[in-house]
Amino acid sequence: MTTVALGLVKEVAEAARAPRFLYLHWPFGHALGEPGNVAQQRTVLHDMLTMATSAPRPGLVVELPYRWRRHTYPAVQNWSAPSQAVTSALPRSRVMM
Amino acid sequence: MKIHELKHHGPVDTAQGGLRGSAVLVGLIPIGTAFGHFISKLIALPQLRRLAAGPIPWTPLRKPLSESTVALISSGGVHLRTDRPFNVNGDPTYRVIPKAARQDDLAISHQAYDKTDALRDINLVFPLERVSELEAERVIGRLADNHYGFGLMGSAKRLLPAMKEVARRLNESGVDLALLVPA
Repeated sequence: MTTVALGLVKEVAEAARAPRFLYLHWPFGHALGEPGNVAQQRTVLHDMLTMATSAPRPGLVVELPYRWRRHTYPAVQNWSAPSQAVTSALPRSRVMM
Repeated sequence: MKIHELKHHGPVDTAQGGLRGSAVLVGLIPIGTAFGHFISKLIALPQLRRLAAGPIPWTPLRKPLSESTVALISSGGVHLRTDRPFNVNGDPTYRVIPKAARQDDLAISHQAYDKTDALRDINLVFPLERVSELEAERVIGRLADNHYGFGLMGSAKRLLPAMKEVARRLNESGVDLALLVPA
């Protein structure tokens, strides 16, 4: 079974040595973002799915670039394409969905 | 144990009286602050350094997302409101949350983070509605029948039996991808 974890504390994400980790510098209780912000929540899920398909090796902790309450989230246009936020942070490798 | 606001629309907050031991520490954190992160690191890092030794496990996704069965695991203290609440002082057990659960069917038993927003929209700590939409849109193949909730547990070692049990259940039910969401 493939796993992808979200984390809100960078040092904990790194120490966990999990197969795939996405780190967000967001407050506790808000791993998917703000209440009712569906586009934001879907963006984070798109990033998680991209990590599932595209992380090239175990142990990567990818820091997502979204600043808390200072980022606008356009709707994910193409779910069969990987998320830029993740692929641009991954080590060079073949990226596919 | 009192359950507040049983009639309100959305998940309930369970309150279980006073916190004890290290839960007092995490229960009093000014939530989301640098101090909260400091406490989290103080408790978690030494344990993780001991427990997460050795090679990192690796299972590539074995089929396209559009054919994969996806399950959620949340450590935000989420459970069915009809189920036994987590002990907010530390609880090494898990709860099963069926895929059909709606926001009103759920509750949160956790005192170590500010639940105000999660009680308004439980997708923040348990994005079942969002992943359900992805199933309807055929982005993923299937939402798993069962999802899993964990509460606050200061000792990672004591949590291991429940984690192994959940992993076994997920594997046996044919889940291809598990998404882990923290409090």
